[in-house]
Amino acid sequence: MKWETVIGLEIHVQLACESKIFSSSSTKYGMPQNTQASLVDLGYPGVLPVLNHQAVVMAIKFGLAVDAEIAEKSIFARKNYFYPDLPKGYQISQYELPIVFNGSIEIPINDKSMKTIRITRAHLEEDAGKSIHDKFDNASAIDLNRAGTPLLEIVSEPDLSSSEEASTYMQKIHQLVRYLKISDGNMQEGSFRCDANISLRPLGSNVLGTRAEIKNINSFKFVEKAIEFEVERQKAILEEGESVIQETRLYDSEKNETRSMRSKEEANDYRYFPDPDLLPILVEKDLIKEIKKELPELFDQKVDRYIKQYSIRKVDAIEIAKNVDIAEFFEDLIHHFKENYQQAANWLLSELMGYLNKENISITDLTITADASAELLQKIHENVVSTSMAKIILKQLIETNDSVDEIIETQGLKQISDSGQIEAIVMEVIELFPDQRDQYLSGKQQVLGFLIGQVMKKTSGKANPKMVNQILLEKIEEYRRR
Amino acid sequence: MTVKKSDINHICDLSKLRIDENEISTFTKQISDILNMINELEEADTDEIKPMAHPMNMSQRLRKDEVISNNDRDLFQKNAIDSEDGFYKVPKVID
Amino acid sequence: MERFTLKKLIHMISQREISSAELVSIYFQRIKKYDHFINSFITLNQESAEEQSLIADKKIQAGNYDLLTGIPYASKDIFCTKGIKTTCASKMLENFVPPYDSTVINQIKNSGAILMGKTNMDEFAMGSSNETSYFGPVYNPWDLERSPGGSSGGSAAAVASGIIPIALGTDTGGSIRQPAAFTGITGLKPTYGRCSRYGMIAFASSLDQAGLLALTAEDIAIFLEAMSGFDPLDSTSVEELVPQYSDSLHNSIAGKTIGLPKEFFNNSLDTESQRILNQGIEIYEKLGAKIIEISLPNVGYSVPTYYVVASAECSSNLARYDGIRYGYRDGDAKDLDDLYRTNRQIGFGDEVKRRIMTGTYVLSAGYYDAYYLKAQKVRQLISNDFEEAFKEVDLIIGPTTQSPAFNIGEKIDDPVSMYMNDIYTISSNLAGLPALSHPVGFIDKLPIGMQLIAPHFQESQLLNFCHLFQQETDFHLQQPQAFLDD
Repeated sequence: MKWETVIGLEIHVQLACESKIFSSSSTKYGMPQNTQASLVDLGYPGVLPVLNHQAVVMAIKFGLAVDAEIAEKSIFARKNYFYPDLPKGYQISQYELPIVFNGSIEIPINDKSMKTIRITRAHLEEDAGKSIHDKFDNASAIDLNRAGTPLLEIVSEPDLSSSEEASTYMQKIHQLVRYLKISDGNMQEGSFRCDANISLRPLGSNVLGTRAEIKNINSFKFVEKAIEFEVERQKAILEEGESVIQETRLYDSEKNETRSMRSKEEANDYRYFPDPDLLPILVEKDLIKEIKKELPELFDQKVDRYIKQYSIRKVDAIEIAKNVDIAEFFEDLIHHFKENYQQAANWLLSELMGYLNKENISITDLTITADASAELLQKIHENVVSTSMAKIILKQLIETNDSVDEIIETQGLKQISDSGQIEAIVMEVIELFPDQRDQYLSGKQQVLGFLIGQVMKKTSGKANPKMVNQILLEKIEEYRRR
Repeated sequence: MTVKKSDINHICDLSKLRIDENEISTFTKQISDILNMINELEEADTDEIKPMAHPMNMSQRLRKDEVISNNDRDLFQKNAIDSEDGFYKVPKVID
Repeated sequence: MERFTLKKLIHMISQREISSAELVSIYFQRIKKYDHFINSFITLNQESAEEQSLIADKKIQAGNYDLLTGIPYASKDIFCTKGIKTTCASKMLENFVPPYDSTVINQIKNSGAILMGKTNMDEFAMGSSNETSYFGPVYNPWDLERSPGGSSGGSAAAVASGIIPIALGTDTGGSIRQPAAFTGITGLKPTYGRCSRYGMIAFASSLDQAGLLALTAEDIAIFLEAMSGFDPLDSTSVEELVPQYSDSLHNSIAGKTIGLPKEFFNNSLDTESQRILNQGIEIYEKLGAKIIEISLPNVGYSVPTYYVVASAECSSNLARYDGIRYGYRDGDAKDLDDLYRTNRQIGFGDEVKRRIMTGTYVLSAGYYDAYYLKAQKVRQLISNDFEEAFKEVDLIIGPTTQSPAFNIGEKIDDPVSMYMNDIYTISSNLAGLPALSHPVGFIDKLPIGMQLIAPHFQESQLLNFCHLFQQETDFHLQQPQAFLDD
């Protein structure tokens, strides 16, 4: 029996608002427990919610970016259930009339084709607090700092057919919310969380099978692994002739397995009804127009533009645009360095990104400006310094406060490009190593590398390698004629 | 219309209430009476009517996204019978 | 013992006939002497009130004071008062001390009035007799074996007995108007959204409104100005200008039209009540109003509509009472489920439990359409009826209750019979309309009230009509016998 995998993802994105969705508490991450929980967040008797304007704007931005419809009127509803990290005993969410619906996004499924994944809806809701079970011996600890943080829940149709597609979709949404600057997408901090609904059905059938929900997956890798495990688990059950139980499961990344969540086993009747403390959100067409005008350039447009406007190679354009912070740095860089865009791209991707990856820091942690980077690039372009020298300068730039010129000066890193100077040293080396000279002349071409290396050694690496190559060849050929 | 004891038990599960055995019959009868009264609604003709969203026909006002710190954890936690080290405490939950 | 009106007190203060400190002292003496008969107070704020009265007197002496400076008032124990126990008459909040003031309390504080104490009420405002209070029932000063009505029974009894000049109440289905009628005083429920709900412990969010109980319309007009207005902390608060209610009290009502809904004057009212109400209506006619019959065809569905909507909302509003962050908490809970259930079993009384259960039921899977959705549609129907009626008339008049105050214990075991008490008052909550009850006569020496309902934000009209009525009559000046011995 051949099985088809059917996956839908629900992604919870914490919106990058300063204050919470229904209260004016700060949303800052990592503060001491319960120091960012106001009376409204704590669900005190008598408190009331008031909606954050920015949360609405961010939801609309998302909706526009996925070609969705923006509801003229949407309603907040109460989702009623009891849990200690849910202070009011209900979560304010949206049910029947979400603010965004009927969108879609394209994901690449191999090098050539794209697949459309429909986005059923995206709605606003408040986040719950946190329960920590290992803080006390005989009790669970509740921290309500996170309670009330604005969330956008993005729900896809079950259009995803494999764990790779699911991971790609998750990454695409991640990239999009960062591009739109509606979320920092920080999965370690819980700003971007994914639940996967997975079911199997016989290939060719159009009836959905029973699905299991895997909650709170917080990495692209884990979403693939969790789905893979779950597919195998369900396959095994179905091939026995048994039925899959509709339930909520957790993914254990250490054991690489999913397991049933005991505490949420009973089917919950959430008794949704419109929240009487809040009024319908009316979105005017003018607001949508205004937001649309101010939508930033998104990934696909950016890649296109890099290729057309800056003649960057497609593969490089994609690599740079993948991360909006890198793209912005790049654009800043080429604003200051206009000589050779491809060279700038190359330098950024291999040198700068190389350094960042090695040191395991992100571009936003970088202390040097695009300005200073452009200066360095300029020196490389003018052959004032060699590529290897540039590496040293980059490190210095990042680690000190000095300017490019200062570093070149103090470290004496200026490239030697004076042909007279180089010639002299080349002649020295040729005299010093007669055996290798002869070896080269008798046909061992690779020995040239050794000689070049010696010249570089004598100049402490500062000689312009191209010139050294050229002059060495010239001079050594002169020996042949002798 | 009568609600059954099992309905009462289910409602209590959903709303985290507990009714003692000796009271269940009374509550069951009372809730049934209330629901009987409520069932009169069936007769109202609401065919073309939209449900009322709000007594005043208004839309939600939006608040500026700025932080106003209204936190006074220690004062607030004076009202909590079981708190420690800034956390609220509950019997251990196993997920 | 003279029951001073607010107007009289303000006059005495301005004439320096009495100081605020003396006033506060007199009222605390009265409370000490008489409240044990009626049990209208849960908490007294004596020390703070006395301090505030001294500060008030300094301001008064300096000539730098406001209308309500130094005037004592009481608040139903449903309004959060910073540093002062706020219990909602429930064991669940028996020791709850809010770290903040509700907006209404704050506004009144700024107006200079002095909070004397928190009054008794039905638990979480659920009731029509003040018998569900964890702190014992309130007794009607007209007959101590009778209920003063509810849920603002404490405020009503305190004002009626003269131990406080004016008190805050709340009205979700009639909880200000019905007790006002049962105790022979005047009570106003403003338009929904007129007064802030922030800090007013929620029962049914789309129906609750803060309001006043006092001896006269004039008193209410003065105090209402202080407590009304837009509040950015309440999304349902309306940005409508607060008029000077006192200014329009004396306007003539000649030429105004009053509507009498035929559904209110049918057989549900006994002959004696009917007769007294008719007399009241004649007085309005004498004052120049025209009376016509109108119809509110769907008003008969008010009670079931209300009980679906109010129960649904309260079942959700009361989910926060779990003892974890505040409130009653049992020390011996075995696990989380046990904690929730024990706290709520012990913390809540029976009526509260019944309403939570009813609300949970009507929202539960499979029943939402038939109950909640249906009720909200009927609610719209009722609201439409009023809108249509107000095209023809300026004001609507009806009874406040079916009968005078009933005996304590008479209806408490029959919830549905208790619910029927609100039959005339509920529809204005459903439509968000302002409504007022004032004394209109007596049956067997027990007061009965007459209800006025106006279009949205026309509290001035209600107060105007009532004030003129009270210039023509003296029903509102009659005092309960038990307290005349001073």
